[in-house]
Amino acid sequence: MKKRIAMGLLLIAALLALSACAAVQPTTQQPGAAPAEDSGKLAQIKAAGKIVVGTSADYPPYESIDADGNFVGFDMDLIRAIGERLGVEVEIQDMPFDSLIAALQEGKIDAVIAAMQATAERDEKVDFTIPYRMTKDAFAAAQDSTLVMEKPEDAAGHSIGVQTGTVQERWVQDNLVATGLTPADKVFSYERADQAALDVANGRIELLLMDAEPAMELAKQTGLKILLITESTAEGGKSIAIPEGASDLKAELDRIIQELIDDGTIQKIQETHGLP
Amino acid sequence: MDFAQNLVTTFNFILQGVGVTIGVTLVALAVGLVFGVTMAMARVYGNPLLQAIAAAYSVIIRAVPVVVIIFILFFVIARFVNLSPFWAGSLALGFTSGAYQSEIFRGAFRAVPSGQMIAARAIGMSKLQAIRSIILPQAVRLALPAWGNEATLVLKDSTLVFVVGVPEILRRAQQVSARTLEPFVAFSVAMLLYLVLTLLTTQILQWFERRYRLQM
Repeated sequence: MKKRIAMGLLLIAALLALSACAAVQPTTQQPGAAPAEDSGKLAQIKAAGKIVVGTSADYPPYESIDADGNFVGFDMDLIRAIGERLGVEVEIQDMPFDSLIAALQEGKIDAVIAAMQATAERDEKVDFTIPYRMTKDAFAAAQDSTLVMEKPEDAAGHSIGVQTGTVQERWVQDNLVATGLTPADKVFSYERADQAALDVANGRIELLLMDAEPAMELAKQTGLKILLITESTAEGGKSIAIPEGASDLKAELDRIIQELIDDGTIQKIQETHGLP
Repeated sequence: MDFAQNLVTTFNFILQGVGVTIGVTLVALAVGLVFGVTMAMARVYGNPLLQAIAAAYSVIIRAVPVVVIIFILFFVIARFVNLSPFWAGSLALGFTSGAYQSEIFRGAFRAVPSGQMIAARAIGMSKLQAIRSIILPQAVRLALPAWGNEATLVLKDSTLVFVVGVPEILRRAQQVSARTLEPFVAFSVAMLLYLVLTLLTTQILQWFERRYRLQM
């Protein structure tokens, strides 16, 4: 009797697990499987009168929340300018950075603007507009550091901190560790960049590699100095992510972004947020 | 002066997350209570099939991290019904809490002497009638202390619903800390708010415990 109940339990568990898998699986396949729905994305947004945009509001000066609870920053002003030209309202939804792509794939949001770079890996799951801003990276060190850097490879052999899951982390792995310039145990990955900055300030690690503008902001706050600002570690520009296959939306957004670059609007927004 | 002002703005900002945290916790506890009591009843008084289903629910849900369930439920349920992040997160948390609550109530049902069920059946009550008017009123009282513990756990698990974009206390603390780069102030405020909420919850439940104590 006991054995039979145990067997029954196992069976049910297996069934539940299977059905859970079956239910989850389409998540990864959906984008390619439903071109008909996606091609109407732009019309869908226009009909709703609003575009729901996901961001991760913890990355000033690109996106953060001010004391009154408003979304502020370069990306936020940009997406509002885009919404204006698109003729729809912009609704911003805050999420952790890791959840954004999944929410986009599942249609919970229509687009993502989060200082996100169009890396090859992300491009497999979602589509990206043309870049609205080119990216630079910065190497930062403690105030009393005697290190001098002229090119990114000068970081070779020194202990270095990066943020997990970023393009900078990959650059360090590919160009310093894989080539044998820096031993793997001298690379430290942090969940957030400010944690790495504190360790540099305290002398636990020598260098920090991250996005240039937040790096400068962090450097000011934690008393670091910027050794080098470079384009060669960055993989391109920051783009808006949209659902895979939403070609009509991509065409419209690309057109608007180009327009905003050409008429100097993006330049103006950059200046209001102190971005070079 | 600067510090005090910073503290006040930080506090006011994070305070706006308290309503969300309380909302998520209450919905989750209520949903969990329904699931928990039903599953515990199925487990203790149901036929073998019901027992197996209830046991599987409890074992599987308790084996998976809460945050994973929230993530899966949000994106799976979202396919069929268009739920807001608040409701999806709260329901997922409630579904999880239900598994833990079912164990609490299973213990409480078992703690009611089995002779009472036999006696109730002997005077002509149906099984459901007996559960409703004889067993349940006692079981609920017996379950209260353990249930209060679960309530404080759900309160703290409510921080997890942020993975689907619900701006509760902890996320607001993260937002402040990202802006001001003073994590210590932000997270201290969050800690204080959770402490107050937990103390309140415990007080309320203790009042219930005293008020509805079994006179044995």
